[in-house]
Amino acid sequence: MDAAAAKELGKLLGAGLSMGLGAVGPGIGLGIMIGKALESIARQPEVAGDVRTNMFIGIGVTEAVALYAFVVALILIFVA
Amino acid sequence: MKHPWRWIIGLLVIGFLVALAIIPGGSKMEFKVAGEFDRTVLIKLPTVGPFDMSITKTVAYLWISVAVLLVLAIVVARSLKVKPGRFQYAMETLYDLARDGIVGSVMKSGKATWFPYIGAVFLFILCSNLIGLLPLPFGEGHQPAYYAATANLNVTLMLALFTFVFTHYAGIRKNGALRYVKAWAPSGAPPVLKQVIWFIHVVSEFFRLISLSVRLFANMVAGHAILAVFFAMALIFQSYLVGLALQGASVLIYMFEIFVAFIQAFIFAILSAVYIGGALDQDH
Repeated sequence: MDAAAAKELGKLLGAGLSMGLGAVGPGIGLGIMIGKALESIARQPEVAGDVRTNMFIGIGVTEAVALYAFVVALILIFVA
Repeated sequence: MKHPWRWIIGLLVIGFLVALAIIPGGSKMEFKVAGEFDRTVLIKLPTVGPFDMSITKTVAYLWISVAVLLVLAIVVARSLKVKPGRFQYAMETLYDLARDGIVGSVMKSGKATWFPYIGAVFLFILCSNLIGLLPLPFGEGHQPAYYAATANLNVTLMLALFTFVFTHYAGIRKNGALRYVKAWAPSGAPPVLKQVIWFIHVVSEFFRLISLSVRLFANMVAGHAILAVFFAMALIFQSYLVGLALQGASVLIYMFEIFVAFIQAFIFAILSAVYIGGALDQDH
């Protein structure tokens, strides 16, 4: 395999791996967080508004991690 | 055989699907997601100093979303009624969401001062996210294409910079510069630990800038990329069956993208409110 093909292989492999592995953590985190939020809403429906607002803040922060992986994948494919 | 027509219709449907699967469909076409990053210059203007003043498609999208927002706001403000119609009710819901749902629920003081900024950011991001879901003729050679002003890192970084500057402006104006900066580390901690915590806090302030801007940018780009893949997959597979399935799925993805447009505008606004509120009312 020549160098150019090896570079292409590395780029695409790295991009796919970064997106795939980078989605695992945030997926688990989002699942736990939304599950807990729903649990607490079910237990205390009167605080549903507060819980939902804080859940969205948490979703934003957690989801950003997956998006960093996405950006890294884009950089690998288009820039590197 | 109670219902022979059921069998006939079933056979017809299966035959239709098999025919779709067998007939090769359409011409093979190339598609590239990288079109999202093309800096299409619409009107060439001279550079002033280090700044290129050309009107690119991003600038056009920014202007369109500002114009749409202005027109909506002026129309609804000119015709306010006590008993709201459908349109006024929709706008009032958005206003209420910005005022009570975002600013009211996370900020303790300075609600009236900072609501205009946070409400404006919310509505602007929402508007430009939703405009990103309409095909407008700013693509290659004026083809209809998907793009959004918020799918450009420069725009989102600028919005995040606004929040960054306003956060520290609000904190310094309320608490005084020295007290504001001092409160970044807990007062009870031992001296060396205090410095470390203070330094980590300074780094985290800059990471807020990155996370705010990259979150919005990557969400919009990812949404457009997924839509593009779903639209273009039929051209790559060259099969009517796959095309039918993918068009059905792309409708679902499109609806999800409308939801994401709302959620991202909401998250950007609410995080701005959290940061500004945190600078105003410092815990320690």
